[in-house]
Amino acid sequence: MPEPLDRGPHPRQEPRIPLPLSLENLEQVFENCDDFKTREVFLHGDPSRQVTVCYVDGQARSERLNDYVLRPLAQDPMLASVPEGRVFELLEKGALYAQAAQRQTEMDPVVLALIDGACALFLPGRADALTVPVATEEKRSVGEPENEPALKGARDSFVESVRTNTSLVRRRLRAPELKVKEHVVGRQSLTPVDVVWLEGIADKDTVRRLEERLDQIDIDGVEAAGNLEEYLADTRRSPFPLLPYTQRPDRFCQGLLEGRVGLLCDGIPLGWLAPGTIDQFFKTGQDRAYHWMVASALSLIRYLCALITLLLPGLYIALVTFHPEAIPVKLALSIVAAKQEVPFSTIFEVLIMLLAFEVIQEAGLRLPGPIGATVSILGGLVVGNAAVDAHIVSPAVLIAVAIAGVAGYTQPSQDFGNALRLWRFLLAILASAGGLLGLALGCASLLYHLAGLETFGVPYLAPFTTGAGAPRGHPSLFRLPLPAMRWRDGAVHTRNRRNQR
Amino acid sequence: MKLLPGLLAVCLLLTGCGGLPYPREMGDMALLRTMGVDREARGLTVTVSTGLRARGLQGETEEPLVLSAARPSLDGACLAMQGQSDSYVYFGYVDQLLLGEELARESVLPALDYFARDRELGLGARLWVVRGTRAETAVRAGEERGVDQRLETLRTDGEMGAALLSRTAGEVYADLLERGSAYVPALSPAGEGSAALEERGYAVLRGERLVGFLDGEAARGLELLVSQPELDVIEAELEENRAAVRVTGARTVCRLASGGEESVELSLVCRVSAQLSEYDRPLDAGERERVTAMLEARESARIQAALEQLQGWGTDCAGLGPRGALISPGLWQRTADRWPQAFAQAEVRVQVRVSLHT
Repeated sequence: MPEPLDRGPHPRQEPRIPLPLSLENLEQVFENCDDFKTREVFLHGDPSRQVTVCYVDGQARSERLNDYVLRPLAQDPMLASVPEGRVFELLEKGALYAQAAQRQTEMDPVVLALIDGACALFLPGRADALTVPVATEEKRSVGEPENEPALKGARDSFVESVRTNTSLVRRRLRAPELKVKEHVVGRQSLTPVDVVWLEGIADKDTVRRLEERLDQIDIDGVEAAGNLEEYLADTRRSPFPLLPYTQRPDRFCQGLLEGRVGLLCDGIPLGWLAPGTIDQFFKTGQDRAYHWMVASALSLIRYLCALITLLLPGLYIALVTFHPEAIPVKLALSIVAAKQEVPFSTIFEVLIMLLAFEVIQEAGLRLPGPIGATVSILGGLVVGNAAVDAHIVSPAVLIAVAIAGVAGYTQPSQDFGNALRLWRFLLAILASAGGLLGLALGCASLLYHLAGLETFGVPYLAPFTTGAGAPRGHPSLFRLPLPAMRWRDGAVHTRNRRNQR
Repeated sequence: MKLLPGLLAVCLLLTGCGGLPYPREMGDMALLRTMGVDREARGLTVTVSTGLRARGLQGETEEPLVLSAARPSLDGACLAMQGQSDSYVYFGYVDQLLLGEELARESVLPALDYFARDRELGLGARLWVVRGTRAETAVRAGEERGVDQRLETLRTDGEMGAALLSRTAGEVYADLLERGSAYVPALSPAGEGSAALEERGYAVLRGERLVGFLDGEAARGLELLVSQPELDVIEAELEENRAAVRVTGARTVCRLASGGEESVELSLVCRVSAQLSEYDRPLDAGERERVTAMLEARESARIQAALEQLQGWGTDCAGLGPRGALISPGLWQRTADRWPQAFAQAEVRVQVRVSLHT
């Protein structure tokens, strides 16, 4: 009879492995793990003194294991000459060429250290073990941030190793006030997640809340960004992202300097910043690199494009179908001329084109790069042109949908752009039902929705609506010259608002 | 806060969803551009035209759709047109309104009032009076090309000072309601070989009726009175030289003064800017003085001609009284009620000052 599945809530078992520490028990824990290896070594060739070295193949780096552990064990004459009772102490205090050697008396830390790439040394007749870190450093090297390319600025980006990421941050913020606190998330993945903040600038309460929420996450593993975002966000009912993320260490550090609290997760080459406010999703890493006038103009364009991508399809439906009198005469005449032989209604045309746009985009994303580009060209140009020539869609609809789509790509945050795409559909449907009235109601609903969002006690619409009288830092729509940006935004509850003399 | 969505839903219902605009496909619409209204024995005739219509994506065009219907009311006539076309007849783009002379002599207010009240029509439409014939004739005068482009050209030229001042139905309506008089550019169908419609001075309305037309020099005089002169070139023959002067601008300031117990004195100072555009040789000081004096006499005569006719009709359609009231509010308060009579009897002093630029 098969063993019944455990369907009930399963509290964490502490300790995880309820066995006394011994080599036999360790081998039992790693039973059926072919990558778990053990090796017995005679100390300086003395068969009466032996030590068993355990490690996980692939996690431990063989050169380090050989040079820093096995070679001293086999060649150090001290290990054979000291009294047997002092061998362990000698190994712990310096006989091995390792940066650290920890005496462990429980099974859990030994097992976790082995998985992290350490080796464990067992001496016969002892109930403790020595763990020595010899982990492999095979990982992707620091490369350029592909999603946030830099024309004028640093070209490094976060990688999958959280420790590399914290070092990238610490190289930029050398102040000892930069604090890094590690939490482990995921029952099976045991993923290290680091909370990073600047003491004296970041809000302590935000740090506390973030740590509490991290500790409350009880999931199997952290394989995707959503495994953190959806558990840390205040609400899951909004398509709008509440935690901005970046691939760029410089932008991450800028967030820390603004008084936000950072989050780095092992295995995910991103850094999150909390609290997330809506203006964060319109900023790019280049904003501070360009001249302030150029940066301001680009910022305004991004806000304008957000409105265009959100409203244009709905506005087109409302004007063409319900309020043609609001369209300039010559444009109206050309729309009429183009629409005469199209068999579908404007509403149907726009909604289908929006859907087709999403399909083409999704197909382009899912396929490998060169094929994706071909699909986009085929879908966008050839099929679009053929559809217009065949009078299946009118060119005005094609242009409106294409402009809305392209305007959406100006959004620095893909997540925010995706939320706008969802709302674009909703607004188009509302405009189909009630024209400008429907569109206005949709916009009011969107504002209502955004005004109701909060992240870590900070209104999502801050700093546009700081609400409880929190002082503003600087304008968000455009960027002032940097010497004039003397204040951190009060909305993020920073403990020190002044950022320059 | 949780009550807010419910409250919004209630507000939505209270807007009267049944009254939401009805969706219509623009491809099925005939977008009317020009409307002519004529008086009939037992009602009104409305003639509308779409203008030249584009068809397809390759730049093909088709002839204007011209519809006409006679009914006792304007609304009835407009409604009757829906049945005459296989497309939905849409009045939202009517931006040219032509009134027949017969209708204008009877009353223009019903047409203007209809434009003010109708959901699709608007008072932004340009208003013209068709002189000597029916508006229907003018609307059909464009034949296969329509008249809307000609009217649009006249409007643009008028804004640039190269043609009659165009006026919107709203401006005329407001003038009639506030001052009791207004002026409207007049047109009439042209003969063979020329544009479909040609300018024919200004129609002057008093109360709600057409009282007459200002032509030629009097029309130019009206333009000077309203400080919007048409671009005009005046040739001056001097003893040993020749000069052409272009009038580029004018500004007329009006002052009211009491001329006795009941009478009013109207003092007009018109400052004209002119540009010396051509000459055989540069003008000396004496020649400049003579050209200036000639120009002043010419413009003064134009103003006098206009004023003579306007006083004769008792219509201050240039708004001289209200403009003078800004300087003499007390006097205006005493004469505002009987301004048409006071204007007709007012002693007018006209002074023209020309600034001649080289």
